[in-house]
Amino acid sequence: MSDSETFDAYWPRSPRQTQLKSLAPRLDTLRGKTVVQLWDYVFRGDEVFELLEEGLKERYPDIKWVSWKEFGATHGNEEHEVLASIPERFKELGVDAAISGMGA
Amino acid sequence: MLRASAVCEEAGVPTATLVCEGFLALAAAASQGQGMPNIGIAMVPGHTGVQSKEQLRENILGVTVGNVINALLEKPAEGKLEKEPKARDIVATGTLEEINEYFLANQLSDGLPIIPPTQARIDAFLRYTERRPDEVLGILLPDMRAATIWSIAVNGVMAGCRPEYMPVLVALIEAMCDPYYGNEHSGNTPGGETLILLNGPITKELGFNYTQGVMRDGFQANTSIGRFWRLYLRNIAGFLPHGNDKCTFGNTFRVVVPENEDVCAKLGWKTNSQDFGYRAGTNTVTISRFTGGNHISSISGSKPEELMPYIADSMQKLHSWHFLFTVGAECGGTLRPLMFLSPILAELFAAAGWSKQDIKQKLWEEARVPAWHMERVSRIWTQKPSWNLPLEVKLGRMPRVYHESDDPNRLVPIVWHPDDYMIVVTGDLGRNSGYIFAHNGVLGYPTAREIKLPKNWKALRSAANSVANTAKGKKKNGSSS
Repeated sequence: MSDSETFDAYWPRSPRQTQLKSLAPRLDTLRGKTVVQLWDYVFRGDEVFELLEEGLKERYPDIKWVSWKEFGATHGNEEHEVLASIPERFKELGVDAAISGMGA
Repeated sequence: MLRASAVCEEAGVPTATLVCEGFLALAAAASQGQGMPNIGIAMVPGHTGVQSKEQLRENILGVTVGNVINALLEKPAEGKLEKEPKARDIVATGTLEEINEYFLANQLSDGLPIIPPTQARIDAFLRYTERRPDEVLGILLPDMRAATIWSIAVNGVMAGCRPEYMPVLVALIEAMCDPYYGNEHSGNTPGGETLILLNGPITKELGFNYTQGVMRDGFQANTSIGRFWRLYLRNIAGFLPHGNDKCTFGNTFRVVVPENEDVCAKLGWKTNSQDFGYRAGTNTVTISRFTGGNHISSISGSKPEELMPYIADSMQKLHSWHFLFTVGAECGGTLRPLMFLSPILAELFAAAGWSKQDIKQKLWEEARVPAWHMERVSRIWTQKPSWNLPLEVKLGRMPRVYHESDDPNRLVPIVWHPDDYMIVVTGDLGRNSGYIFAHNGVLGYPTAREIKLPKNWKALRSAANSVANTAKGKKKNGSSS
């Protein structure tokens, strides 16, 4: 390579294999809705969910909860299994919304 | 956790994703890969790990509850994915310096100079595989990009690899794509780094260092392939610091470490690749992630019984938060510590009739901690759910050895089974030391792949050697600058 030699360099990435996806329709209210908790078992999610239950029940007294204990960790050994079970399990449980934590 | 939210949204269920304040950039990057850049985030102020119960309460009730309501009820902004070049676009034309400036500015490099990936150089790599350039080995999270033969060649060129390393690079990316390995966890908090182990005759054929200073840079095959791995994690999987790579501190890439198969053969010991089910003499790579490690210096004694207490003590002391991978339903039983043994130590063990398996068994018996300590680390120090060993055993989620009595001082092993230990013979032929790596369990589970050589490998190598010898001859005769 000399100092003046020029090169045509290719892009080292490859295109993303995902398209823009639509989010689920939002709810008009949380009154009487069933909300599921999904947790990856880190960052004190168990305590956070307890506080969320408390805070949301103040505004929506008839909100119903499905505990994170129903599912198992969404991160780790069971992740693939738990995520694959979500659509069917949500139907069985009549889930209207989900809160997923903790972290990113 | 964002992956779980994406599954819910696709199932038609609106979500609020709880994200600690310091993880918002990661959430933004990861949501692009999921095709849902506008997914609803409910920010949790600060980091829950350093907040009192009162502070946590104030933050969740005062801030996060409102964020959750907004995420579930308010129509999200229109989502947009970033525009990007196409798979084979030339993105920069210029001198070496200009190309490097472009790659740095666009986060396509690791901070070191790269070799420009030009058509001629990429073609040279592609000659060393029979696979089509567009063949997809897998889709890599979190960016959801296709791992193609073409992209392997491009990043191999950039890393400073030689074209003949291509079969090794392909095997590595096959392993990276194996769900068993868990590549999607490569940007997690502890910031572990992959260690690549190499076995087989290709070690000598490609000139890898496998003796003194085996973990040191300075040997092209070991070093450039290690760099390739990290470049590929950045460019294809998408693990960029300040984005998807959310390591607290991180590590630099590790150079490739081959096992000294000459010593294994002399001692009648199984090689690492045989432990992974391959025939002796098979060329393989084995990848696994480790947060760190430590040298065990000057392991002294004249028989195994004198060496083992020091080795077991070192093994036990190097493990703390890693009990996350020993205890509990989500990751339990996935801890696979790795130990390097220098050749003369292996010879000492073998002379006394010990195999690698015997050492693993002894480590399992002796590298133990009090049960109360393992529970304390898991439950209190790292604030994981309320685990206790008797309950885990009762629920059938851990082996009985973790609750053989109710004595909190009973000693329990740091791994479930003796075979969870990995032992590799490598390093300085004349030194009596070891090295232990603290494994990251399910966040980079040991995964091996055979390195498949093209049918014309010998012809290609012969031609390459001929060119190399000519160049050396010219240099020797002073006819080349």
